[in-house]
Amino acid sequence: MTDTSTLASTQASRPPWYRDATVVKWFTQVVALLLVVGALVFLAVEAGDNLEAKSIATDFDFLNINPGFNISEGIDVDPDTGGRALWVGMVNTLRLAIAGLFVATVLGVLIGISRLSSNWMVNKAASAYIETLRNIPVLVQILFYAAVLGGLGRLTPESSTLGGFVYVSAKGIGLPRVFASEGFYQWLVVLLIGVVVGTIVRRRRVAQQEATGQITYPNLYFLGVVALFGLVGWFIHPVFGWLGGVFDGIGDAWDSIPEAVMQLLLTALAVGAAATWIKRFLDSKRTPAGLAKLTDDDIFRMIFSAVGALIAVLVIWVVWPGLSSWIVNSGSDFWHWLGDKFGDGRSGQPIDAMKPTIEGQGTIWNYGPQGLTMTIGFAAMFLGVTLYTAAFIAEIVRGGILAVPKGQTEAAAAIGLSRAQALRQVILPQAFRVSLPPLGNQYLNLTKNTSLGIAVGYADVVNVGSTVLNQTGRALPVIAIWMLFYLSCSLTISVIVNWFNVRMKIVER
Amino acid sequence: MSDVTATVDTDEPEVNLPPEPPSLPPGEWMRKNLFSSFFNSVLTLLSLALFLFIFRGMVNFAFENAERDWDSVRANLRLFMAFAYPESQFVRVWVSLGIVVSLVGLSAGIWRSDGVVSARKIATICFGAGSAIIAAALLVKGPLQRDENGELIFTEDFEAIHGPWADGLSTRLWWFVVGAILLGIAAAIWFGLGDRRRKTFVPTVKLVYGLIGFLIATLWFVRWGHFTGQPEPGTPYADRDSLVAMSTRVPWTVMWVLTGIAYQIGKLVEGVRVVRAVIIGLWAFAPFFIFWVILRDPSFDYGYVFSVDVPMYLAFAVVGSAIMWALTRPGLGEIGRVAAFGLVLVAAFTFVGGFFGWFGMLQKARFSFVLLAVFALIAHNFAGDKLTRRNFVFGWLGVLGVMHYLITVINTPSTLDLTADMFLGGFMFSIFAAVFGLMLSFPLGVILALARTSTLPIFRIMATIFIEVVRGIPFITVLFFFSIMLPLFLPPGMEVAEIAAVWVGLVLFSAAYLAENVRGGLQSIRRGQFEAADAVGLTASQRTGLIVLPQALRVSIPPLVGQAIASYKETSLFAIIGIFDFLRVANSVVPNQSQPINFVGHKREGLLFVSLIYWIGSYAMSKYSQKLEKKLGVGER
Repeated sequence: MTDTSTLASTQASRPPWYRDATVVKWFTQVVALLLVVGALVFLAVEAGDNLEAKSIATDFDFLNINPGFNISEGIDVDPDTGGRALWVGMVNTLRLAIAGLFVATVLGVLIGISRLSSNWMVNKAASAYIETLRNIPVLVQILFYAAVLGGLGRLTPESSTLGGFVYVSAKGIGLPRVFASEGFYQWLVVLLIGVVVGTIVRRRRVAQQEATGQITYPNLYFLGVVALFGLVGWFIHPVFGWLGGVFDGIGDAWDSIPEAVMQLLLTALAVGAAATWIKRFLDSKRTPAGLAKLTDDDIFRMIFSAVGALIAVLVIWVVWPGLSSWIVNSGSDFWHWLGDKFGDGRSGQPIDAMKPTIEGQGTIWNYGPQGLTMTIGFAAMFLGVTLYTAAFIAEIVRGGILAVPKGQTEAAAAIGLSRAQALRQVILPQAFRVSLPPLGNQYLNLTKNTSLGIAVGYADVVNVGSTVLNQTGRALPVIAIWMLFYLSCSLTISVIVNWFNVRMKIVER
Repeated sequence: MSDVTATVDTDEPEVNLPPEPPSLPPGEWMRKNLFSSFFNSVLTLLSLALFLFIFRGMVNFAFENAERDWDSVRANLRLFMAFAYPESQFVRVWVSLGIVVSLVGLSAGIWRSDGVVSARKIATICFGAGSAIIAAALLVKGPLQRDENGELIFTEDFEAIHGPWADGLSTRLWWFVVGAILLGIAAAIWFGLGDRRRKTFVPTVKLVYGLIGFLIATLWFVRWGHFTGQPEPGTPYADRDSLVAMSTRVPWTVMWVLTGIAYQIGKLVEGVRVVRAVIIGLWAFAPFFIFWVILRDPSFDYGYVFSVDVPMYLAFAVVGSAIMWALTRPGLGEIGRVAAFGLVLVAAFTFVGGFFGWFGMLQKARFSFVLLAVFALIAHNFAGDKLTRRNFVFGWLGVLGVMHYLITVINTPSTLDLTADMFLGGFMFSIFAAVFGLMLSFPLGVILALARTSTLPIFRIMATIFIEVVRGIPFITVLFFFSIMLPLFLPPGMEVAEIAAVWVGLVLFSAAYLAENVRGGLQSIRRGQFEAADAVGLTASQRTGLIVLPQALRVSIPPLVGQAIASYKETSLFAIIGIFDFLRVANSVVPNQSQPINFVGHKREGLLFVSLIYWIGSYAMSKYSQKLEKKLGVGER
């Protein structure tokens, strides 16, 4: 504060090297990095010693051996390897998360709009819902729902309601189920062609409307074309049975890719990405007067991306050589799986539905093979995370609508739009733009909250993982798998939301 | 923080209130708000029917239900509060609570909130609550039929038998009385004040304090039907209705009086210069003091204390004071920085040496060297007149003393025979974990946010990786990680209780979220502020501390309160990994209780009680945050 004299004198000449901003900056950072890395290494060494002393193994072998337990629900209740067991848990988590996302969004939007209703009763009911549910921890809610559902009656043929369409009991909740049947994928191909054709038609109609000013109902035409294709496809889908052979061929071709080629390909990808990035970065620094002077920060960025590519190459060739063969295998598996879904003989209807039924076995009534069964664990988790997140989504929707300036409504009225048109074409799009980022956050939260299944015995990835952990003692690998799984879920949701966000952004001049 | 609240203290709270529309007569109000159109009328009737249906279902679910036994909550209030802290030592829990409420009272007195509630609003709330109670009394089923022994009578299908509905009206006379009293209060305020009801205000602090006081006062007059403590072995509890929690009324009253006194003291000392810093310091010191001094009472070996601890403190105090005095000399220039850097190297070297086992040294000495280096690094900011320098040296002595004291206390065995996991549980643990966890994670979050928005790329990358990884994974995996892995990371001979391990997890987890909130505030600061700070010649740290952070924190207060609510709710997850917290008592402990009274399977009552307590806390905080948001006028200035 007081050394103005030093300041004045140092301004004249270059400061000594130990006072040079760049040197100090990088020195501090490198020291900090070394400290953090040092601390981590220290902890890792300690952990390694401790693990050895307690003879806790950290290998991933458990993924390939029989886990020795059954899973209460999922795509495979008796998995033959630990990896398969974790996969079942992951599918359960995703099932819950995806179902929850849709229902929570619909419910949240409904309640959010009710919260803005001019009807006092509706308004207060919505706000009571929001204020009650969002202020109680989601885990308490889940446990409560589980306790209530667990206290329901026994499952008997008499426990069906709504004419046999719904079964409610302490064993679970049975619902009718709509499912993809034999010809589904072939029908999907027809539908896909329909979407392509519909998009072309829609573009034409939009162009026509813009050119002539006539109302041409582009969206209606699009839906009509898709519906038409769906209807026709229902009957003609066996035509596409030959695709099965094609996909199998692709799978075989994929399988014949040598590992080294895949490794080279991945290397080229990593190096190419880094090189492209550096080139673009340098291009952005190019001014008419030549290349701008690069700051130390810019150089660091380029070195950083180069080091990133180097690490990727190291991973591909040295650290994890199995990665390439894994990619080759799973690629060919995917194509063969797809090929299985098609066939010349397939001619059944694409979509089927069934009522829940129960069949008596011994003293306990079990669900039959038909219908959609929600176990108590699933139902409690589903109710918990959905109702909880819906309260937050409602607040976001309300905030989004309120954030649209009043002038917009007035302007829409001034140019003669009806109230419905104004809402659909002026207010809601803008409200959606405002609410999208926080909505994405809520989707992330919902996905993360599905990890609480362990509290009510729902076989999600954390629950299955902790069973594996207790059986095999492989704490570190299991935790790593959890983290990777949730990180990739979060990343996927972020990417999707960001993609929408960029699309929805106001194009500014 | 003090700058933030200082700017919002206004003497006239009414100024910000928008003019309220004149209240309509009931008939017109209903026509306007409920039956404005055919569609609206249908909607009103439908939602009213739905509401009544759900309300009736909930009331019948909670009361007059053969499966409910609210004694499972009432008899276990002690478990809910502090789990199994030993009966004879329970006064320690009360002392801890007393410290916290005193601090709350002091802080409330110093950072006085000028929040007010209008009489009109109080009348409305009383009216709503009174109507709800009377409606519940009317809607609930008839009383359950009991035989002469007081046992419930069941049908052949194990359905409990309800008496006629009209019987309930007389047995639930109390409900009607309470409802009528509330309605009476509402009417008295509404008609007694007339048009002044909108302009009459009651300070929120007084209202809340009075309400809590009223609840505590009822302990003296109403026989709340719960028991405390364990029965003598072999003797069953006496008559269920005659035993009353008389044991808690004295401590609760003491707490209440203590809070009031602390509030008044806070008001008195508000103007003193350093009082805010002292209070913040006390808050930071309190968790360690409560955990290690009160709840587990260390047994000092005074020989060791006087032969090792005191001399070490004196040595560091004398040498350190001399160094600080020298380093704060004005015009010291480069030598000060070189000396500080030298001290950093010494501190680092003590740890490196310790790692390789080169020279033996108490861990406390190593930490003291680190503290010395930190103080030396910031010393040049305190260069100036003698008073500033003296205060800085006192600051050094104080912080060093607190650190030495805490390390001594923590390293000393407990006199209480407590296993680590029985240490503290129930609601006390949940609330302590939330409050003190948030307190520690706040500075960490600010540092992370600064690092993430920094121009130094390595700091930025490290902070970003940490924040994004933590935010991408669920809290439960963090808890698993810390409860399993943290003990493995420690050097041999050093142990950490599971409670402490998961608490560290909570701190790191909420720090990542807080960092994002603070970052939002930091990004809202206009470029001009940075440039202006540079223009008047502030250093980077002065610019951050004096210009950028105060503004950024002001903007991010509402999301920070939101994060505080989230952290408070997240403490419920401790139940999953086996900590006996509030939720676990309700979910696992009470439903498995068969002695002295059989409460097996009574899970829903406890969960409802837990929901209610969590709800009160979160709701109060969220209302406070909304008020704050309006008051701060974020985005409107």
